[in-house]
Amino acid sequence: MSQPGPSAYHRLNPLTKLVLATVTAVAAVIVGGIVGPVVLLTVAVGVPAASAGVLKRLLRTSLLLSLPIGISALLVNLFFFPGGREVLFQIGPISATREGLAFALEILARILAISGGITLFYLTTPPHELVIDLERRGVSPRLAFVASASVQTVPAMLERAGTIVAAQRARGLDTEGGVVRRLRGLVPVVGPVLMGSIAEVEERSMALEARGFTRPGRRTLLWAPADRQSERLARWLLILVLVALVAARFSGVLGPLP
Amino acid sequence: MSQQALRVVVSVAAFLAVAFVGIAFVWNFSAEEASRSWAILSAVAAVVAFAVYAGVEYLQTRRVESISRQFDTRTIVLIPIAIAFNIVLGQAVAQALKIPIYLDSVGTILVGAVAGPIPGAVTGFLANILWTYVLPPPFHSDIAAPFAVVAVVIGLLAGMFGRIGWLRPRPNSSGQRLLLGGAIALAVVAVMAFYAYSRFYADLDGLVVFNPENTDPVFIALGVLIAAMSVAAIVGFFAFLFLRRDLTVAYVVVAGVLTGIVAALISAPISANLFTGVTGSGTDFLVAAFRQAGSDVSTATFQQGLLSDPVDKLMTFLIVYLILTAMARRTKARFPQGERLLERRSTEGAAT
Repeated sequence: MSQPGPSAYHRLNPLTKLVLATVTAVAAVIVGGIVGPVVLLTVAVGVPAASAGVLKRLLRTSLLLSLPIGISALLVNLFFFPGGREVLFQIGPISATREGLAFALEILARILAISGGITLFYLTTPPHELVIDLERRGVSPRLAFVASASVQTVPAMLERAGTIVAAQRARGLDTEGGVVRRLRGLVPVVGPVLMGSIAEVEERSMALEARGFTRPGRRTLLWAPADRQSERLARWLLILVLVALVAARFSGVLGPLP
Repeated sequence: MSQQALRVVVSVAAFLAVAFVGIAFVWNFSAEEASRSWAILSAVAAVVAFAVYAGVEYLQTRRVESISRQFDTRTIVLIPIAIAFNIVLGQAVAQALKIPIYLDSVGTILVGAVAGPIPGAVTGFLANILWTYVLPPPFHSDIAAPFAVVAVVIGLLAGMFGRIGWLRPRPNSSGQRLLLGGAIALAVVAVMAFYAYSRFYADLDGLVVFNPENTDPVFIALGVLIAAMSVAAIVGFFAFLFLRRDLTVAYVVVAGVLTGIVAALISAPISANLFTGVTGSGTDFLVAAFRQAGSDVSTATFQQGLLSDPVDKLMTFLIVYLILTAMARRTKARFPQGERLLERRSTEGAAT
């Protein structure tokens, strides 16, 4: 049942990768500026991604994910930054300012660091590995069930929605045309999806109870991801570094970086 | 019964103690800070009081029945489905429709209503955490996790509204009661809205959302849009009330607006400090408009939240109520809090 990953980074314990992603994201916000998040992006995201051979996919996914929020941040700050004096160019009544641009770049660096760290985590970690690892560490089996079932339920619900759309169109539902018509078309699709999912609760809970789901005590796992002493140490070190960063930032030892 | 009375007394005492300490030593209660401090203080005090209640129960009985009772197998099975509702609807609205609401708490409020405050809070928390950390794209959001605490509060509130029976259907109410209930609901909403909005819109020329002398066409269009939305909401509310002849619609409206105001007060600082109000969804236009009108980032996110959140939570509560009325009575009744979601039988009505 053991599943050797394609690279050493893949084979790290899921919790180690999760801690790295969270520390990267939080540190990017704490440090601020442009230099800090860029350094974090290179060291904590770029290098591991390259070693795991997912750099290309990471870039594509991460950029795609941060594109809408990035464009929004750029436009809003470029044109509406309140302290902006130095005008770069004007479009009608609104003007773009240099201060706004600088601030927008800062926000962009921060967003890229957050999204890069998290993207690296799930590109190298199958969700069920994380859930199994957490269950091994004593997270209650109920919580583990909720987490792993949620991950599986989202695609299942989309599939159900696809089936229902096809069925309703066969009955003459109009899903094209103007906004009002499309919104009206939503009701006979969303309704059955929600109610059908809720109707399933009964069957599933019976199935679970018949298999001893509510039985107390620990379960024996068939397979669990490996963990090493060195990784445990690395996790604690990362958390310590983060705590030190937070303390340095708020006590004023670490001033604002460019 | 005396054991339970002891728990209630101790937790109320804890609430008062925290409130006293908070007012006396910790928070700033000057005029402009008071409403924000109150929001934080009451949240902290409520959490402490709840922890004390659970702690006393554990000391008395070595179990925490009041919490574990809310987590039967049915609830555990419903939670993943509710999380999927949150994520699928929220993602669809944020990415595809680009309108300034979220619609990402249908599942949270549903679980809160049928199972109780704690499962509701757990659903909200897990949905936001999984949304960021576990789900692969296209169903992935970089910004959901920091807002998990908001989802927790929404779940707790929904659970409380379910518990006190606000979501119980009241079919075939008389026209007089409907009119009275509708008027009371509107008055309550107006008072809440006036209080919250006067705190955050007062800087901009009294109580106007946008300065009428500002001739920028963007603001006139937005002002007209907001006015039209308010009128449509009021007309729609009365139409809905009289069409369904169900007084609960009035309760649902008050619950939705109250939850929305609380959610806005908690989420605005998060959005302002982490993302400068920009979250990549339809609400960005509103934040930009308020900043153009002269507000700083934190005020602009409060103003945006106080416009979007009450409307959003109102719609969400209505959707959840429609789901509840469409569920079979026996399905509802099997959930931990299900009995409080069933209409009173006429025979019992006289007694209670």
